[in-house]
Amino acid sequence: MNLASCKIGDQVTLEKILDEQLTVQLYSMGCIIGERITLERVAPFGEPMIIRVEDSFISLRKNDAENMIVKQ
Amino acid sequence: MLSNKQLETVSEAPQIKKSSGKRLLLVGNPNSGKSTLFNALTGLNQRIGNFPGVTVEKKTGQLKLGQEKLEVVDLPGTYSLVPRSEDEKVTYEYLIDQNRNDKEEIVVIIADASSLKRNLLLVTQMIDLEYPTILVLNMMDIVERNKQKIDIAGLERELGVPVIPMNARLGKGVSKLKTRIETFDYIPAPKVIERHEEKNQLKNTVDRFKRIKEILAKTYHADGPAKTAESTRKIDKIFTHSVWGFVIFLFILFLIFQAIFSWSTYPMDWIENGFLVFGNWLGGALPEGILNDLLVEGVLAGLGGIVIFIPQIALLFMFIAILEDTGYLARVSYLTDTVLKRFGLNGRSIIPLLGGAACAVPAIMSARTISNKKERLLTIFVTPLISCSARIPVYTLLIALVIPAEKQLLGFNLQGIVMMALYLLGFVAALGTAMLLKYWVKTEERSHFIMELPIYRMPRWKNVGMTIYNKVKVFLFEAGKIIIAVSIVLWVLSSYGPGNKMEAIEQKYEQIEQDPSQELSLTQDQIASEKLEASYAGHIGKFIEPAIRPLGFDWKIGISIITSFAAREVFVGTMATLYSVGDEENTTSIKEKMARATHPSTGEKVYTKATGYSLLIFYAFALQCMATVAIVVKETGGWKWPILQLVYMGALAYFASLLVFQVFS
Ligand SMILES: Nc1nc2c(ncn2[C@@H]2O[C@H](COP(=O)(O)OP(=O)(O)OP(=O)(O)O)[C@@H](O)[C@H]2O)c(=O)[nH]1
Ligand SMILES: [Mg+2]
Repeated sequence: MNLASCKIGDQVTLEKILDEQLTVQLYSMGCIIGERITLERVAPFGEPMIIRVEDSFISLRKNDAENMIVKQ
Repeated sequence: MLSNKQLETVSEAPQIKKSSGKRLLLVGNPNSGKSTLFNALTGLNQRIGNFPGVTVEKKTGQLKLGQEKLEVVDLPGTYSLVPRSEDEKVTYEYLIDQNRNDKEEIVVIIADASSLKRNLLLVTQMIDLEYPTILVLNMMDIVERNKQKIDIAGLERELGVPVIPMNARLGKGVSKLKTRIETFDYIPAPKVIERHEEKNQLKNTVDRFKRIKEILAKTYHADGPAKTAESTRKIDKIFTHSVWGFVIFLFILFLIFQAIFSWSTYPMDWIENGFLVFGNWLGGALPEGILNDLLVEGVLAGLGGIVIFIPQIALLFMFIAILEDTGYLARVSYLTDTVLKRFGLNGRSIIPLLGGAACAVPAIMSARTISNKKERLLTIFVTPLISCSARIPVYTLLIALVIPAEKQLLGFNLQGIVMMALYLLGFVAALGTAMLLKYWVKTEERSHFIMELPIYRMPRWKNVGMTIYNKVKVFLFEAGKIIIAVSIVLWVLSSYGPGNKMEAIEQKYEQIEQDPSQELSLTQDQIASEKLEASYAGHIGKFIEPAIRPLGFDWKIGISIITSFAAREVFVGTMATLYSVGDEENTTSIKEKMARATHPSTGEKVYTKATGYSLLIFYAFALQCMATVAIVVKETGGWKWPILQLVYMGALAYFASLLVFQVFS
């Protein structure tokens, strides 16, 4: 399952990131494998979205969320 | 830009230290409070705002510690030592610059203690690269509010560097930091992790977070999720709501608009009258002569034209400062990303675009935070189309001139509608231009919108006040300097002429006056305007008049367009000077003088509705700003884009004005 297919309010665990550039960016912001992620909001037209990692809020576009494999 | 492979393979800290003084480098994650601390240390007033990417260039200041003077360097925030965008690159390149070894350096890392884990990544990277480090744990007030507990001594022990708790907003902990700097003696800390060059570099980051978690397990404790994050979440339920979020945003824009263009009229009237009274008093009090004329007709007329706009400038910057300080701007980025993406821009572009309503120069610099090169270039290219504060005086004057105040359209005040239409026009032109460029500029680079949304904070009124004060000061003195210089040059150019034409006119009128057979219908105004036409300024204006005639402009407007290249607000000063020269009783405002102006050949009014609208459109679109051209040269690294921008916006202005003039006349 990827993050883009989650519903608002879902709490998931990040398992894998499919894109290296994205990995570097997310890692440097403290969003690493094994981290609990909450999908907070999705804007109209399906993107961008806001995720919560610990106490930080981070925005993402859909194609990046699709590259983030998560499990419940 | 570095490839991802280079994560953590940055060369180590510069080694040689000659001791000719000390330098403090303020480094840390975006929005952690570096500039706030910088201001507290140096007494300067660097821009502060509650969103990541406020500081986009290196700033230097000075700190006095006893006898010693230390250099303090504020750097753009960065999440790690892999730069993602131009602003992070500034920090990265400064840190690895091996040539800078003139002073002993201490790196003061400012970490947001309320999200310690993420902030410690950069801290541990810096420690492992053997930079002499002091760790500042900022935002301790928020840590307290969240009931998070941090064992400072434990952290010091685990990391092997001095740790100082702080609240940079209130200046708490600053004196402790100063003391620590005075006694600082670098002892290399043990490596936080063993780096493995051969391993996938991302693994090092994973190892690092593993170690950070171990450290935090011993030194940090929190009861459940942070309170500030919870309240931010609640506020965001409204502010980032799919419907209400946009409604609120439009309402805020409307409110700002109302304040600037409606509430401010009262103080503006007072200032205008004050200047008239003062000018007349000065004209009477000083001895007659050239100096009197220069001061009253040249300088004072030019300055008075600009001082009345202070209330509008102050209000504009007040609102911008409040928006910046609360954290709301990041939400506007979130709300607008989808729309802007379709135009080849990015949600982050909204910060330069909104900033462009104040001034395009810092706005264009703030586009550094956009990591995608194409999106950044497009943002830089279209930002000057947004109506900036320098257009406010031009718009206000011209609208008042050609649209009667009482006129209504569909129950709304027409002046207000036209003003709003000009702003919308600028915005629409910006988006349209981006759309065109989107197909023209090619890139392989992927585009992201990965941005941290900071917690909401109350604006600090002192900061808002300082911003207003500084911006008004810059507006007055920077614009004032140019206006005084232009006014003086212009006054000379329009008071003297080539050859002896000016004298010839004077003689002609003297003869007429003495000749009793002639009717004395010639007014002072006519003499003055004939002399003005014979002056140097008149000659220059007449030379360009044919080119702008089709737009409905006369030669005086032509001169204003030329002088406006120094800065747009010079338009008002130029008009003031051109219409004041030779005006014996300086009793009317520029607006009234311009309203009375007629074409000498036909006797028709100069400022008709058609000319007024045409000129408004011209100022909305033309890139008449040297400072903008200069910053675009700097930011794009060459002349190609600024020249393209100049030509494009010039052509847009010319043809749009032509169209408008033809339609309305
Ligand atoms: N509550 C609280 N807020 C703080 C503190 N220090 C700074 N802030 C606020 O944090 C926000 C960011 O401050 P800046 O000084 O602009 O941060 P910066 O690190 O320079 O940010 P960039 O230039 O974007 O990297 C501002 O809204 C500050 O008012 C603090 O100790 N406590
Ligand atoms: Mg800063």
